[in-house]
Amino acid sequence: MSETQDRSKDQVPVTVLTGFLGAGKTTLLNHILTAEHGRKYAVVINEFGELGVDNDLVVDADEEVFEMNNGCICCTVRGDLIRILGSLMKRRAKFDGIIVETTGLADPAPVAQTFFVDEEVRDKTRLDAVVTVVDAYNVLQTLEESPEAVHQIAFADVIILNKTDLVDEAKLAEIEAKIRQINAYVKIHPAVRGNVPLTDVLDQGGFDLQRALEYEPDFLENTEHSHEEGVTSMSFPVSEPIDEARFHAWISALLQEQGADILRSKGILNFAGHNDRYAFQAVHMMADGDFIGPWKEGEKKESRLVFIGRNLNRPRLRRGFESCRA
Amino acid sequence: MSDKATLSGIVAERGAEQAVEGHITACCASRDNSSFAFATGEGDLLIAPRETIRDTATWTTVQAHDGPVLALSPDVTGSGFLSGGEDCRLKRTVGGAVEELAKARRWIEHVACWSDGRKGTIAFASGKEVHLRGADGATALRTLEHPSTVSGIVFDAKGKRIAASHYNGASMWFVNSKDSTAKVYEWKGSHIGIAIHPAGEALITSMQENDLHGWRLSDGHNMRMSGYPTKVMSLAFTRNGKWLATSGADSVILWPFFNGGPMGKPPSELPGIPGVLCTRVATHPQQDVVVAGFADGTVLMMDQSSERVLPVCSAGGGSVTALSFSADGCILGYGTEDGRVGVVDLTAPA
Repeated sequence: MSETQDRSKDQVPVTVLTGFLGAGKTTLLNHILTAEHGRKYAVVINEFGELGVDNDLVVDADEEVFEMNNGCICCTVRGDLIRILGSLMKRRAKFDGIIVETTGLADPAPVAQTFFVDEEVRDKTRLDAVVTVVDAYNVLQTLEESPEAVHQIAFADVIILNKTDLVDEAKLAEIEAKIRQINAYVKIHPAVRGNVPLTDVLDQGGFDLQRALEYEPDFLENTEHSHEEGVTSMSFPVSEPIDEARFHAWISALLQEQGADILRSKGILNFAGHNDRYAFQAVHMMADGDFIGPWKEGEKKESRLVFIGRNLNRPRLRRGFESCRA
Repeated sequence: MSDKATLSGIVAERGAEQAVEGHITACCASRDNSSFAFATGEGDLLIAPRETIRDTATWTTVQAHDGPVLALSPDVTGSGFLSGGEDCRLKRTVGGAVEELAKARRWIEHVACWSDGRKGTIAFASGKEVHLRGADGATALRTLEHPSTVSGIVFDAKGKRIAASHYNGASMWFVNSKDSTAKVYEWKGSHIGIAIHPAGEALITSMQENDLHGWRLSDGHNMRMSGYPTKVMSLAFTRNGKWLATSGADSVILWPFFNGGPMGKPPSELPGIPGVLCTRVATHPQQDVVVAGFADGTVLMMDQSSERVLPVCSAGGGSVTALSFSADGCILGYGTEDGRVGVVDLTAPA
């Protein structure tokens, strides 16, 4: 087993639970905390009284965001989370995973960036998935009115589409299309009163992009989105091996320049001269990557990069990525 | 309990070690130097009496908190300890007896106590608030409000002022003043720890971006001390304030606070362990001796003038997470993230 795999085994998986106001986040949390699944979760919440569960692993937090002095204009981080996760690590044996809830109005970027910025947090935890709870009844209107809501969709690895009993099938299809327009690669789970199987929410291995990319809807490859203001997602495959140094130079220049608009980028890369797959991920300008073990037997060694954000220039991104070929 | 025969370093000749359950979060000696306590992530205080410190059978364990102990301090007088925890309680432990002094709304992450031996002031930080209490621990004196969660508190040497670090700087308050506003020292970013010069010349904070920031207290002049590969989790001025010893590199970094330093002066380095991070430092209260704990569990004692290095204990038990001298300089204690605790009696004949 490689060192990387050893490390990721020891790391505590963290699920970030975000969602619109009134979408049913608390119901879902209560469901996670009370259901019989044989696993224990520490939960970092932002409103104590809300949760009707008596649990010494529930921690009240204050969403305290600060700006890093690292030259990244959009690098805001949750300092309270660094402290709380550090403290939770002192009783690591007491739980199997951590769930971080954010308020309905919060931009998910600071919480996601926290997992890139702090060394201790990076060392001891791994961001398993961003789960966004969406209220089917109000979602279309909320997306019109709130940029934070759009970001919550853009950042999501998993979307729980709640209250589906309040809308008809045509509406549901419209909602799904709207979500896919923002984030084509997200897993969508329809639900009523947060009744989703927990296996759909927890232990997603969110950044095991191989899995995420399996969900790739082909029709999107042919669709050009040209909404000026809208958040869209784009995916770029390259079948030849990629030159590692050239890729890093290109992506860091790109994120430095456009990181404010590129909310999230992620990919699986086949670097020339390496047998292992390289998983790349970034939140705005903060990027990270790691070799994650060999390609499967008979698998096509195709590199693929996904961008989710605003003002994405498809030809330019494609040319840039293709210029990294070894 | 570990076998003394297998110990190496001066702990083998002059001290004792024990293995306990839980992460060691802090350690210190009581005000009268009669006992030495270790706090754990399980909520316990492990107390070693000075007289029989090498006989671990005489050490006692007291459950002080429900959940991890986050902060530990000697009480104002006597053999007691003050502690704060994730249970949001401030506790006083004397012998085997635990008394609750306060219940806060947030975790009590920092406890400080200034004492002149008779009277004193107790402070604890809970969320954005620092609470000041009289020596009895029951009399509430003041509540100091800060713009964000307090990440460290420190009294000046005379107990007249208390400083707290937080986002975008630090706040300095006069303890006995009725004036409700703080002198705020501003610097953008997240400040995660604090120290004050023993003669009140400077206030130093540790920052999220792996460097230190400081303010000269006479005129508010900013100082910046950078070059660390990791966050500085531990900082301590030497007894006379000439040097600031810090963790955060694979050797002990010492910044000079004389001849105009640290501005424009490079730091000195004491020997370390190549490739192994220093995680905790403590300075001797009477001599020019610095002790350093490392990420592999090693503790080294170093004489600043001769640069002589004395191993206190060898690697094991994970990162050193607690390290402290008693106020009389006679006892050194250390603890690690995997529950290895040790004490050394520096007065004992070798």
